[in-house]
Amino acid sequence: MINRLKIIKKVRETPTVFSLYFHWDAEVLPGQFVMVWVPGYSEVPMTVASREGEKCITVKVYGKTTERLGNMGEGEFLYLRGPYGKPFSSSRGKKLLIGGGSGMASLRSLIDEDSTGIIASKTSDEILFEKDFKPGMAICVTEDGSRGMKGLAPDAINNLDLTQFDTIYVCGPEMMMKAIFDMLRGKELNVEFSFERSMKCGIGLCDSCSVDGFQVCRDGPTFHIKEVENMAEFGKTRLASSGKRIYMK
Amino acid sequence: MIDLRTKAGGIELDTPLILASGILDENGYTMRRILEAGAAAVVTKSIGVDERNGYTSPVVFEGENYIINAMGLPNPGIEEYGGEIKIAEEAGKPVIGSIFAADAPTFLKLAGEMVDYGVSAIELNLSCPHVKGFGTEVGSDPTLVKDIVETLKASIDIPIWSKLSPNVTDIVEIGSAASESDALVLINTVRAMAIDINARMPVLTNVYGGLSGNAIKPVGLRLVYEIKKELDCNIIGVGGIGNASDAIEYIMAGASAVQIGTALWRKGRGIFDEINQGISGFMKDSGIGSIGEMIGVAVQ
Repeated sequence: MINRLKIIKKVRETPTVFSLYFHWDAEVLPGQFVMVWVPGYSEVPMTVASREGEKCITVKVYGKTTERLGNMGEGEFLYLRGPYGKPFSSSRGKKLLIGGGSGMASLRSLIDEDSTGIIASKTSDEILFEKDFKPGMAICVTEDGSRGMKGLAPDAINNLDLTQFDTIYVCGPEMMMKAIFDMLRGKELNVEFSFERSMKCGIGLCDSCSVDGFQVCRDGPTFHIKEVENMAEFGKTRLASSGKRIYMK
Repeated sequence: MIDLRTKAGGIELDTPLILASGILDENGYTMRRILEAGAAAVVTKSIGVDERNGYTSPVVFEGENYIINAMGLPNPGIEEYGGEIKIAEEAGKPVIGSIFAADAPTFLKLAGEMVDYGVSAIELNLSCPHVKGFGTEVGSDPTLVKDIVETLKASIDIPIWSKLSPNVTDIVEIGSAASESDALVLINTVRAMAIDINARMPVLTNVYGGLSGNAIKPVGLRLVYEIKKELDCNIIGVGGIGNASDAIEYIMAGASAVQIGTALWRKGRGIFDEINQGISGFMKDSGIGSIGEMIGVAVQ
């Protein structure tokens, strides 16, 4: 079933990132996603965040479909199916949220009084959702040093006592998550990752998004660090749209 | 312990349940996991000569008890696919290589490469309903089907299965043309479409797709029954099987084994164990000692 939902508010988060708010009765848990169809263009997977009693998707413009979404405004309609996927197993307690690029959008529903954030991006223009955190609780890291610390997300972790957090949540490009995974593995920390892989069906049938036989759309997108430890494909290979195996760099 | 072994399409299977082509069989690790979860064998995604990305999404539409898909035969091309088969074969169970082409020489080339990769059998895709020049367009021409099947049977030493389409006027005519195959696999998806009334347009980018899931079970069952009755050949049943009773119906209509695909949508990998247990329970309660005792018993 495809839902048609009216956009009630549009917020410009950065020059290339927009949030589209809509009212939807469905229960969507942190970590779950929807497939957003733009008729005449294509369909893309998007995380749904819940903010102030309404739901929203956050769109980074990177192609024709997301450009069309980014140009949509109040009163226009979104077409979407879902929600899909396994939510984060817990959303309580003291949290560290590590988001790279648009990855923070997948963690946004988790942000509360008890959350510390590491917001990583290429430049200051791409820092997302800093104001959702309590003042002083968000650490910004940029590759060009235009905002906060200069470096990558893992560089910001080194300065933190990680044992203070009940759960660490990580979402971003796979190589960033792999670097963080390599730092945190074997440390008895409670870490959950939210994977981003190319999806076609969103319902566990087409095999496009699979990692080690797990379908990111159905078995994930959230995986506990214990599950990730046994994955031979994580951070190493993925399948292209054709199914051709690609080695990640 | 109930014996679920069966021989289908020239290969020995631990149970009658095979993963159908097109579902979760692009990545070798996925196929390996499905074999570990209880499938007796897997059929790969259909592989052609050249790399294809498939269609732009939406590529699926979800109904209540059915799916319509138009993936568009995405595949990495035969040269790139051997690695995936190798990973899947680590599970120690049969992997069947599905191939698609437009003529006999190309089918033969693809089959030869699949043999080199170590597959246990070849499944000819003569039935994909949504790609121009392939699938049903090939599989609805009895002369071409006969040429392809006979060409492969003459020079390929492993079993050849022909997966046929329900989208033909006379299944017996096509079945006869493919009758030299070690098994006829019935059925592929039923050509279909969906329209979104708010968007006022077809949902699938390709417009037409293939209907699968429980909604098509009665159609598949009828075609299996009809072929068994008219041609009495080895059949592998597929189409809308979601529980043990569905599988047993297909077996009683004449299938020596069955394939499961769309049911993974609602039930996940656990479907294989669930159906195996259900078949065992039925056989125990009914005093049936082997799968063979059930094959085709309903055919009148």
